[in-house]
Amino acid sequence: MNFVRYSLLTGAAVVGLSAPVLAQDCPIKVGVLHSLSGSMAISETTLKDVMLMLVEQQNANGGLLGCELETVVVDPASDWPLFAEKARELLTVHNVDVIFGNWTSVSRKSVLPVIEELNGLLFYPVQYEGEESSKNVFYTGAAPNQQAIPATDYFLEELGVEKFALLGTDYVYPRTTNNILESYLMSKGVAESDIFVNYTPFGHSDWSKIVADVVALGADGKKVGVISTINGDANIGFYKELAAAGVSADDIPVIAFSVGEEELSGLDTSDLVGHLAAWNYFMSADTPENAAFIEAWHGFIGDDARVTNDPMEAHYIGFNMWVNAVTAAGSTDVDAVRAAMYGQEIANLTGGTAVMLPNHHLAKPVLIGEIQADGQFDIVSQTVEVEGDAWTDFLPDSAVLTSDWQNLDCGMYNTQTETCVQTLSNY
Amino acid sequence: MIRSLLAGLLVAIACGGASAQDGPMQTILQEQAELIVESSRRTVAPAIDAVAGSGLSQAQTVLQVWQSREMVRRTSDGRFFQAEPAGGGVFRMIDFDTGETIGELPSAEIEQIRPNSGIQGLIGTALVRFQLSDLNRATRQAALDSIQRDRNADALEPLRGAIDSEDDPGLRAQKERLERLLTIAFDEDDAVRVTAIESLSGDLGVDVRATLTPLVQTRTAIYTGEPPASANIARWLEPGSSDLSIDAAYDLLVADGLAAPRIGPARIHETLTANIEDGRIGGVPVEILGTDAARADAYAALVAAGRAERAPGADDIAAAVDAHRFAEIYGEPSAAVTAAAIDALDRIEFNVALNQAADLTLDALSLASIYFLAAIGLAITFGVMGVINMAHGEFIMMGAYTGYVVQLFVPDHTLSVLLAIPAAFAVTFAAGVVMERLVIRRLAGRPLETLLATFGIAIALQQLAKNIFGTQARPLTAPDWLGGAWVINDVVSVSTIRIAIFFLALIFLALFLFIMRRTRLGLETRAVTQNPRMAASMGINVNRVNMLTFGLGSGIAGIAGVAIGLFAKVTSELGNDYIVQSFMTVVVGGVGNIWGTLLGATMIGFLQKGIEWANPSNTLAAQTYMIIFIILFLQFRPRGIIALKGRAAGD
Repeated sequence: MNFVRYSLLTGAAVVGLSAPVLAQDCPIKVGVLHSLSGSMAISETTLKDVMLMLVEQQNANGGLLGCELETVVVDPASDWPLFAEKARELLTVHNVDVIFGNWTSVSRKSVLPVIEELNGLLFYPVQYEGEESSKNVFYTGAAPNQQAIPATDYFLEELGVEKFALLGTDYVYPRTTNNILESYLMSKGVAESDIFVNYTPFGHSDWSKIVADVVALGADGKKVGVISTINGDANIGFYKELAAAGVSADDIPVIAFSVGEEELSGLDTSDLVGHLAAWNYFMSADTPENAAFIEAWHGFIGDDARVTNDPMEAHYIGFNMWVNAVTAAGSTDVDAVRAAMYGQEIANLTGGTAVMLPNHHLAKPVLIGEIQADGQFDIVSQTVEVEGDAWTDFLPDSAVLTSDWQNLDCGMYNTQTETCVQTLSNY
Repeated sequence: MIRSLLAGLLVAIACGGASAQDGPMQTILQEQAELIVESSRRTVAPAIDAVAGSGLSQAQTVLQVWQSREMVRRTSDGRFFQAEPAGGGVFRMIDFDTGETIGELPSAEIEQIRPNSGIQGLIGTALVRFQLSDLNRATRQAALDSIQRDRNADALEPLRGAIDSEDDPGLRAQKERLERLLTIAFDEDDAVRVTAIESLSGDLGVDVRATLTPLVQTRTAIYTGEPPASANIARWLEPGSSDLSIDAAYDLLVADGLAAPRIGPARIHETLTANIEDGRIGGVPVEILGTDAARADAYAALVAAGRAERAPGADDIAAAVDAHRFAEIYGEPSAAVTAAAIDALDRIEFNVALNQAADLTLDALSLASIYFLAAIGLAITFGVMGVINMAHGEFIMMGAYTGYVVQLFVPDHTLSVLLAIPAAFAVTFAAGVVMERLVIRRLAGRPLETLLATFGIAIALQQLAKNIFGTQARPLTAPDWLGGAWVINDVVSVSTIRIAIFFLALIFLALFLFIMRRTRLGLETRAVTQNPRMAASMGINVNRVNMLTFGLGSGIAGIAGVAIGLFAKVTSELGNDYIVQSFMTVVVGGVGNIWGTLLGATMIGFLQKGIEWANPSNTLAAQTYMIIFIILFLQFRPRGIIALKGRAAGD
């Protein structure tokens, strides 16, 4: 009994002594800001599970800076203003050292002012429209030039598409992406009359008219292709209607930026076979890293039928980079970690290496996959690593802007006037 | 004995891989190995041509195997084989030249060649000549699809040769039609082309328009004297008219190198900068050159000094334009063909417009029936009983999920849908009865509290569905006979599932009328809604009637859920998408009257399609305009299209 008490006391003393040496408050807290209810729960719940898995793995490997990692999960309930409130709660009440979260751009925009005011650190794992670079956010998903532009090139060069239908759900990501694509296509010599743009509400289900419009585009003998930024459930009705109209992927190919393994799981994919998606990651990628990741995921979630997808890989890369940066900095202090983030390298799950750039984006390869009957993707094209570009080169206002937090300490730097336009991302 | 034979065979195989001469096809593939592995549509054509043009009997097999992604490359020596899965991640290697299995390899030792769909299309085109007269109907169909997707001149002769031997009437018609399309595009005899065009005049197919439109595309041409006889002129362009301004005409001349380019401000600036001497340009101080006019003057001074090129003035431009004639000419040289094509296109466009109107009407009708189906349950609970049930959408959702669950247990889709309809009715009827007893009855006559309570129930039901079924959309698959579309022609088509929904809506209309007008429950319901106390004193059990009526309305919502789930998706948000439209339908139509609900659904359906047609690029805007219209409409007819009169109006 005495011995037990003695050893307990000694243990406590050792912990008490060692903690100040590391100058680190234990445990290190990792905030997870993903919707667990509401319309976005469909996608975001999985990302919460991935974060729990990654933290568990890290703790099993001895934690970080001698501390246990502890996750703090909050539920912003797909309610955009609530994202800001929950981010504030994470930073001021729970005092988290880093936040992994958000899916929709509008929720990210809602969090930005809070995170910049309180000097937090956010890892954002989803492909997005670019035109943003916050000092406090690392964007581990794709910028337009890492998804939309290579996908358009694939349409132009590999499929010989001459006429484009840009179909999207009506919110900030599709609208900005389609603006960029429109001016990109025109710079490639596609006439304005050969570009058809349509926006539909979230959850749209009445596609017959739009599909008929798209089919009618082929009336002048040009090959038609659809670039889809349609989000979420609305995709199901869209592909069903395409199939009902007798349009196969060989007639009118559709490339989607928001349809991944997760969205296809549990769906009857027979209508979608041969259509395409562009991502930085597919579950079917044949590498040992990916096999290990999938095995760990199945083990953690306890269900071998669960799929992995692109934003999950983004969190995998983001989390491991953060761990390495914290180790390098020797502290979880946001400014020190940020300085240590630049140039961090992590092996991609699809091969090659992801590198964190001074503009807070990653260099990652771009993959194009054809949908197969089993809901997986057959990878038909893989580029070398493409550097994420915060400000697109295809909109005149943005072409002159650049972001470099490492050397210029500015996320919105005008290269013509050589001045920093602003450092806050309240645009 | 057998063992020694096997051993001998193995040795032979081992030697064959290493030393024996490659077969002729393997040699070709090895020559083209780089292009095949690179697998890009832009560069792969020579490899396909080499295989297709090899004259070898195995060419067709190789192309088909390549196209279907069954071709692999052995990592050890780079040779190509057909791979057949042998189970357990092992593949059987089949040699292209001999057709024999040469062994089995694990997937780690082979590299699959994955042509993308662009390359698959090119291979398909190359395969056409082998496949057009194939014995297998599906193969011939594949060949026709390939020609259809990539119409080129090479396909014309093989296609003509394959028509007579075709005994399948469907394929024969397709072949003849394709032959005419290719004739229009590629035949050398103009008279034959004109005949082909005339035979397709008025045809609605997108492919016909796709063939004819390129024939009538024009470009602007410039002539100094008389145009050559070969030019097929669409019309002359008079410079200075609204078709072609003088400036635009001059720009065309400049683009063709027929006139000196204009000197713009940038060029002036450049020239001036190059001529600065001691802070002066041609004697003018740099400081006063702040305006375009001043810079133009300084430039003129430089021109006068012979140090800059003279800018073309207005009279130079006019003279240059006058010296040329401008015309729009057809890319197609034959005037007879273009005339026939224009004529045919005119007739087609008229036909297309007519059919588009018909298609739009069908779409609107189908949308109206979906709205009607979603709203008919509400027409009972809200229209007849006056209960504002915000959880109506969630009853639709529950019906859809019931359909999904039934499908989990009954794999046959036809049977499962037939079972799902009564099951969905039972589930939502029960849910409606429970809700009526526990909540709505206790809040009778307090509409605001009812609204808030049912809204809360709606949110709770949504979250419950998320917890039970997860957040992913669940499949509710329609049976195959509902999966297709009723295609009248290339423009007008309706998916079968929408036709089914249309008839389902009609059936429910009849059912509603029958229950309300011909049954005791209907009679009692009408009595209770008009005057509950009087009804009670007549011996009607008001509570029981209210409960059954509410259950009936909820049950019908459940069946609507099955129908909606079949054509859209099953998610926990399904109800949200329909609740607003349902209330709008009931309110616009006139509360308490089923014919009003029918008219309301029809009006909203047609209105939405009409606005979508007028503004095709933004479907969301269409819905906004529609809501604005409905608000205005209700300003003028607050009680909806069909307003109840007299005692039935209640207040």
